[in-house]
Parts: sequence; C-alpha cells; structure tokens
Amino acid sequence: MPSSGTPREVLTGLGDLTRKVRAAQRGTWFPLLLLGMLTLGGILVGRFTFKVETVACPAGGGAVGSGCTLVTQGSAVYWPLGLALAYAATAFFYIRRSRNRGVGTRVRPYVLTGIVLVALASATAMWSLRHGMPQLGEPLDFWGLYLDPASGVTRFLERLAGNAMAVGLPLLVLAWVERSRALLLLAVVYLAVELVPLSTGWSGIPFTSPWSALPAFGVPGVLLLLGALGFGLAELSGRRDAS
Amino acid sequence: MTDQPEQHPVTGLDDVVHQRVRLGILTVAHQARRVEFGFLRTALGLTAGNLSQHLSVLEKAGLVEIEKGYEGKRARTWLSLTPAGDRALRDEVTQLKRLIHQIEHGSSAPES
Repeated sequence: MPSSGTPREVLTGLGDLTRKVRAAQRGTWFPLLLLGMLTLGGILVGRFTFKVETVACPAGGGAVGSGCTLVTQGSAVYWPLGLALAYAATAFFYIRRSRNRGVGTRVRPYVLTGIVLVALASATAMWSLRHGMPQLGEPLDFWGLYLDPASGVTRFLERLAGNAMAVGLPLLVLAWVERSRALLLLAVVYLAVELVPLSTGWSGIPFTSPWSALPAFGVPGVLLLLGALGFGLAELSGRRDAS
Repeated sequence: MTDQPEQHPVTGLDDVVHQRVRLGILTVAHQARRVEFGFLRTALGLTAGNLSQHLSVLEKAGLVEIEKGYEGKRARTWLSLTPAGDRALRDEVTQLKRLIHQIEHGSSAPES
C-alpha cells in the first residue's frame, strides 16, 4: 500500500507495489526448463541422425585417392517442431498461471517472437530439404547469398542463425517482458556461449564420434537448466517470504 | 504580454486518483493490465468491503473497467485500467515528481 507521507514516500510505495506484482507475474523457470530440455534433446537427435561417409575430396585439397570424411547429423524437423511445442506450452503455462494467481501477464510479445522464430526455423528446414547438403569446396548458397563455408563470417552466421537466435532471442524478449535483470544476464551469458567460437577439442570427443554434438548442446543446455533451477528456487523462496 | 504564474504541482493532483488506496489499485492494474479482486485485496491488505468502495469510485470516474464472471463454480471479478485511468496514473506520477523537485530544488521540474 502506498504511504500517505511525503511525495517521495508515496512514489517509493508505488515502486514496491509494482515489484510485488512483477514477482507474481514471473514464471521464468518454466520456459528455461523447456528450452534447456529442447537443447539437451539436440544431443540425442545428433546421436541418432549421425552419418559418416567417405566422399571424393574437392579439387586442390585433401588426400586424393583415399577420399575425404563427411560427417552429417541433425534433423530438419526437430527444432521447428520443438520450438513450436515449447512456445505453445509456455503460452498455456502463463495464461493458466495468470488465471490462478489473479494477475495478468504480457505474454503476447514472447509468443509473437516464438511464431516468427518457428516460421524462420521452418523456412530454413525447407531450404535444407530442397537444396540438400552443399558439395565440399562449393560456396554455400543461402537464399541467394553465396557464402564461403570455410570463412569466419559464414561460421558466425551459422552460429547466429542456430541456437543463438532460436533460444537466445526469446530469452532476451522474456527478460524485457518480465523486467528481469537476472534473466538478461543469463541471456547474455547464453549468447556468449553460443556465439563465441570456442573449440570443442577440450571435451576429447572427435568430430567423427556419434556423440560429437554433446559439447555444442551440452554446455548451453546445462546452463539453461541451471538457470531454471535458480529461478525456480528464487520464486519458491519469494513465495515463502510473502506467505 | 503578461507572464502566466506557474501552477503549483499540488493543483495538478486529482483527488480521485491521489487517495493512497486508489493510487495503489491503479498502480497494480497498470502493471498487471488485468487483475483479479482477490489479488488486489491481498496485495493492498484491504477488506473486501473497503476495496469494493474504492473500486466503485474509480469505476464511476471512468478510470477502471470491472468485469464479473465465473471460472467453474467460482465467481471472479477482474478489473483493468481504461485509457483515462492510464492517463490519470501517469499524470499523478508526473505531478508527484514535480512536487518532489519543487520541494528539493525550489522550482518546478520539466513535464516528464
């Protein structure tokens, strides 16, 4: 309740009330849990779609005669479908929670971001299905943009168009919707993990292993699950203090 | 040309909005967009009768919209701010900030 004292005390009381409402609106742990599970699921998808082939080496490189090793893994359906389900479940969770707690939540920006990202992920998946895998040594034709697969810019764009966009962008939107600095910090750390070109050699898993996707999905997946745990515990302790 | 004397921020405070319980109701409704009667009662620490009285004042002034319905067998009352309510809350906060500035610096602050 705002104080009936000085104008400054009244404004401070309004600030406290606003914080109380925000705390009741937050449910950060749930989308983090879903996105973390979706990311870790990518390890299993990588494992079961793993394919290693020996193909002819591109002209001017590789050992001609013995051939080059081509490793493919990943599913064109997993991310679009997984994201669509995660967004539908998150929207349902927030709407239901809003009804139970008696306080509205601005879930629309988050769901709209989800719809746009699912559309983008589906378009990329359709493009991959139509064009197939690029031949070794050939430029990568991405929607008319001819990129050198070996260049640093292409690799950065690949990382940006992957999980950084599919998971990092919704986290930023959620941090804005929930006015949460802690979530903003987590989103920045997550984006750093996804975008910084760290070598996965530290894990000791060679790229020819069926589990080679483990470091790429394991680190951000565990980060998201730890975030879910942290936000869940913070929410629980906040509710205990309030009651 | 004559200079108009600057209005003291106190004259810009609206009695309907400035009352502390009603200011609290408007603040919660602004943040939540849509808020249930029970949540408001707990958040503001009021009795149901007291809250109802303040809500009818705000409703008569056209600052909030009240919607009654059922969820299962449970009666629920939701309220949301009207555009006039949103404006009134913003004006109130602006006037309070001007008042603070006037007290601390002896002159009126800019509008925002």
